[in-house]
Amino acid sequence: MSVPLLLQTLRQNPLPVVVDVWAPWCMPCRAIERPLAVLKEEYAGRVDVVKVNADEQIEAARALGVTGIPTLVTFREGKEVARHTGSAPTAVLRQLFEAGLAGDAPAARVARKGAAGPAPVARTLRALTAAALLLTGWLSGPSILLIALAGAVLFSAVYDRCPLWRAIAPRLASVLRPRGQ
Amino acid sequence: MSFVNEASWDRIVRVILGIVLLYLGWAGVVTGPLGVVFQYLGLLPLITGLVGWCPAYAILRFRTKKA
Repeated sequence: MSVPLLLQTLRQNPLPVVVDVWAPWCMPCRAIERPLAVLKEEYAGRVDVVKVNADEQIEAARALGVTGIPTLVTFREGKEVARHTGSAPTAVLRQLFEAGLAGDAPAARVARKGAAGPAPVARTLRALTAAALLLTGWLSGPSILLIALAGAVLFSAVYDRCPLWRAIAPRLASVLRPRGQ
Repeated sequence: MSFVNEASWDRIVRVILGIVLLYLGWAGVVTGPLGVVFQYLGLLPLITGLVGWCPAYAILRFRTKKA
């Protein structure tokens, strides 16, 4: 599949698409082949699966930003919503299919990137709220409670851009994650 | 996020209401017992508006955000 054809398939397909970048010599690719086929059948009519042979379609794999195989990328309305590189249990593969339906990235991707953050509307709302709280706190005394609340709300608006938070978030996630997952 | 059950307009109204109540309570515009009530009651719409999830909606199985 050529790059323009691949991009056209991703943009024009009304269904979410899971792109599987694989190679015949790749053992992890073979390991996920069967569970992927089962999921493809289970999600038939709701999620499409497109296979890209990394050996034969190098440009397509490059266009997808693939650095290792197998790589599975989920697209919804032409936009990437989830990605996983490496072999994975069925539960993780299922997450990629569900991400296409929900339009949300799986937790694993969010944790790895650590930059999911709030939506632009929520970010703006929180920042404006923080400013209003700060002003109210300053005018009323000043009130330490309101100023502290303004600080907390402001942090919730920009936490994903805080280097300290990005450093500790994956550790927190690993501590809070239930064992066996 | 799937837990959000408030539409954007709902969240904005709640945040504005929360800030107004907090201002009335903390700035001394409203004094006495009502002022104290406003000081803390304002936190409720403010927090539910910022988070986007209303426990009352969840209990009543109601939502303003379209699925």
